[in-house]
Amino acid sequence: MSETSVSAAQGAALQCINLGIDFGGLTAVDSFDVTIGRTEIAGLIGPNGAGKTTVFNLLTKVYNPTRGQILLDGVDTAKMDTTAVSKAGIARTFQNIRLFGNLSVEDNVRIGLHNQVKCDMWSDMFHLPRHFKTEREFHKRSLELLDVFNMADVADAQAGSLPYGAQRRLEIVRALATNPKLLLLDEPAAGMNPSETAELMENIGRIRDDFGVAILLIEHDMNLVMGICENICVLNFGRIIAKGTPAEIQANPEVIEAYLGKPDVEEDAS
Amino acid sequence: MDFLTNLINGISLGSVYAIIALGYTMVYGIAKMLNFAHGDVLMIGSYVCFIVMGTYGLDPLICVLLSMACTTVLGIVVERLAYKPLREATSLAVLITAIGVSYFLQNMALLIWGADPKAFRSVVRLPSVVLFDGQLVISAVTIATVLAAIIVMVCLTLFTQKTKMGKAMRAVSEDKGAAQLMGINVNTTISMVFAIGSGLAALAGVLLCSAYPTLMPTTGSMPGIKAFTAAVLGGIGSIPGAALGGVLLGIIEIFAKAYVGTQFSDAIVFAVLIIVLLIRPAGLLGKEIQEKV
Amino acid sequence: MSKKTKSQLITYALVVCLFALAFGLSATGMMSNSMVGLLVPICAYITMAISLNLVVGISGELSLGHAGFMSVGAFTGLATSAALKYYGVITAGPARLAVAMVAAGLFAAVAGILIGLPVLRLRGDYLAIVTLAFGEIIKNLMNNLYLGMDASGLHVSMTDAKSLGMTGGTIIINGPQGAAGIDKLSSLVSGFVLVMFALFVVQNLIDSRSGRAIMAVRDNRIAAESVGVNVMKYRLMAFVVSAALAGMAGALYAMNYSSIVPKKFDFNTSILVLVFVVLGGMGNIRGGILAAALLVWLPEQLRFIGDYRMLIYAIVLISVMLLTNNARVKAFMEGFRERRGMRQAGAAEGGDGK
Repeated sequence: MSETSVSAAQGAALQCINLGIDFGGLTAVDSFDVTIGRTEIAGLIGPNGAGKTTVFNLLTKVYNPTRGQILLDGVDTAKMDTTAVSKAGIARTFQNIRLFGNLSVEDNVRIGLHNQVKCDMWSDMFHLPRHFKTEREFHKRSLELLDVFNMADVADAQAGSLPYGAQRRLEIVRALATNPKLLLLDEPAAGMNPSETAELMENIGRIRDDFGVAILLIEHDMNLVMGICENICVLNFGRIIAKGTPAEIQANPEVIEAYLGKPDVEEDAS
Repeated sequence: MDFLTNLINGISLGSVYAIIALGYTMVYGIAKMLNFAHGDVLMIGSYVCFIVMGTYGLDPLICVLLSMACTTVLGIVVERLAYKPLREATSLAVLITAIGVSYFLQNMALLIWGADPKAFRSVVRLPSVVLFDGQLVISAVTIATVLAAIIVMVCLTLFTQKTKMGKAMRAVSEDKGAAQLMGINVNTTISMVFAIGSGLAALAGVLLCSAYPTLMPTTGSMPGIKAFTAAVLGGIGSIPGAALGGVLLGIIEIFAKAYVGTQFSDAIVFAVLIIVLLIRPAGLLGKEIQEKV
Repeated sequence: MSKKTKSQLITYALVVCLFALAFGLSATGMMSNSMVGLLVPICAYITMAISLNLVVGISGELSLGHAGFMSVGAFTGLATSAALKYYGVITAGPARLAVAMVAAGLFAAVAGILIGLPVLRLRGDYLAIVTLAFGEIIKNLMNNLYLGMDASGLHVSMTDAKSLGMTGGTIIINGPQGAAGIDKLSSLVSGFVLVMFALFVVQNLIDSRSGRAIMAVRDNRIAAESVGVNVMKYRLMAFVVSAALAGMAGALYAMNYSSIVPKKFDFNTSILVLVFVVLGGMGNIRGGILAAALLVWLPEQLRFIGDYRMLIYAIVLISVMLLTNNARVKAFMEGFRERRGMRQAGAAEGGDGK
């Protein structure tokens, strides 16, 4: 994540300038300045309650910022609501999985594709030719997307009946279906074992390469974060305490203090 | 003077709505269900009082207490039989069941007492209060109704704030599971809420019928709906909200009848509710709940 | 053929069979008079159930004022039919019925938009109570509606018949007395057409991009928003389509009788239709149709029970709710579905997973 500068900002997928939000008397996020490149994989880490999901909610306009700017591919999202921001190119997954449990796996993906086609209520109600054409295209595209994650064979299963790991993957597929410029992943590895996590790391890399999308992820699994993120931003009490490459972050004493607390006086300061 | 008369009548009618609304709001707050049969419990209470007064000629106060006792028992029985098995069900399932109970009570009343309107004899046999040289006449029923509502409000507030059972009710309304873990008997608490609400419904019923003396199996239906909207207006789950909503609704209804016309009074009452909910969805005194994302 | 399409075809077939049966029985005189009189109302109520299912089952919003749209449609329909005849625009019965039903649907749709826009922003329970309030408001307004026609055109008043200011002519809608002298244009055939039309529209909608959006909003509003689905638009879509169909059902219903009053379309009617939907299974169109047909037909058959009829209806209702929502039954069904789903997904994942 580079410092905010005009040349660096050009072509950036996301640029946050002095982003902040107050809830009544509580400042949840403050002075959030970040730039994410077009196809960058960036990480957002910090202790519990640091404000990471709040940042995601700000980016997706679930909350409206109290101050600051969000530029998505150079476009100010100030007047946009969640729906508009999604159309503009931000997709997200949630900390607690939010799938459409009663619908099939494929239908979940098809909803991700919803905005790729203009609304046509009449052809939907009367099953005019346009409806069939749209559904055929959606079907094809859904299976393609599911295939990327080896989920094409469960296309007809009820989304709510999938095992946990599969549900998480489905959420990512659905997010990708919206054709985003920026993908926000909220703790994608939560509840996964090491082999699943390794597979997820591979998938994230592949998503970036195949879909040309910028990715910002919140994670607690440090192996994943350090392993895949090109740049990391560390949040504590709503403020950025460090920004940089994995190596820089790991050596940063403030970060260590935030996670582990101050070292004891007796300990060797190596 | 007309204005004052209307205002007083409005407060009186509103007091009836407030008492009914308190039952609705407590049950919603604690058992998380809309008890659509509440208005019909009111009707049953009124009939009991009517029958006891007519057949045995007992003192009106005894009759009122008897009818309250009956509805209290009725409330507990209905809760145990029809609502308790559905505690984990969807709110819609409980709602439909409540509607079934409502139909059941109405038709039972129809079978037992017939469809013909009964002339309800007022339980308040005191003379009216005459003020301003006869320009303002306030009936004893009106005064009794307002007093009753105030007493009920105060007692309920004290009950929920100071007594152990009251605190248990508040705990269950916040978090049923946690309350259970703390050793609170949720079943008893919920039954208690229904008991209190149903008993109060009878009180509201006899006061309502004393002021508007026609009693039929459908008598409880409309006041029930209106009291429910009063509870929502004030903020469902809030005791002061139910009282405020009830009184406000009563005033609005009487004023609408007086200054616009009886034919549109219902529409106006409901229109006010809609406007309030659009501006402040949680109701006047209710809490806005933020959904966690 | 997909499972969904097959299921929908079965529903069409079911309706066709039911109508064939009803038509056959009534035509050959094997049906009692009272039962024959019920046929058109059953069609109207089935349409109401289908349309309400779109709002309650598919869109997931509890609407307690559906009878209001039926009322709007009923009076629009009969007024349209009467006016068409009076002014000699169309005299043929079936054509008038068709135009009347279209008009009814349109007016009810407009009512749906006007009501839906403010109401659909509210949360579940509040939305329910506001729809109930609107149902009562519509009933109240209809009770005060006076409509007349004379040589100079249509006259409307909300106060009384005199203020219509007509010279000669006839009063179509007379406030609380409703409408009288209605041309009974409805028939079993037109009822069948309406039911099939409603079924066509609703089933198509469900199995479409719009339907998916509506269900997504129902299942998880926040996720739907995050994926760019306009929540208000799709809630409104379900609500307005449903209102239009209810209006058409109202027109069919009204023109089955020689007279009708606004009080007929009250809260009890709304609840009646809601019961059809819930008993049939929320979102289960076929179930709703069967429940509507059964619950209108059954009380007639049980007439011999006489006064106890509604009481038994209530007991049956409570019993069915208790039985189908029993905690143990539900846990069993959950476990069944989970095991079946996991077997499906597990087989697909091969050696993956835990």
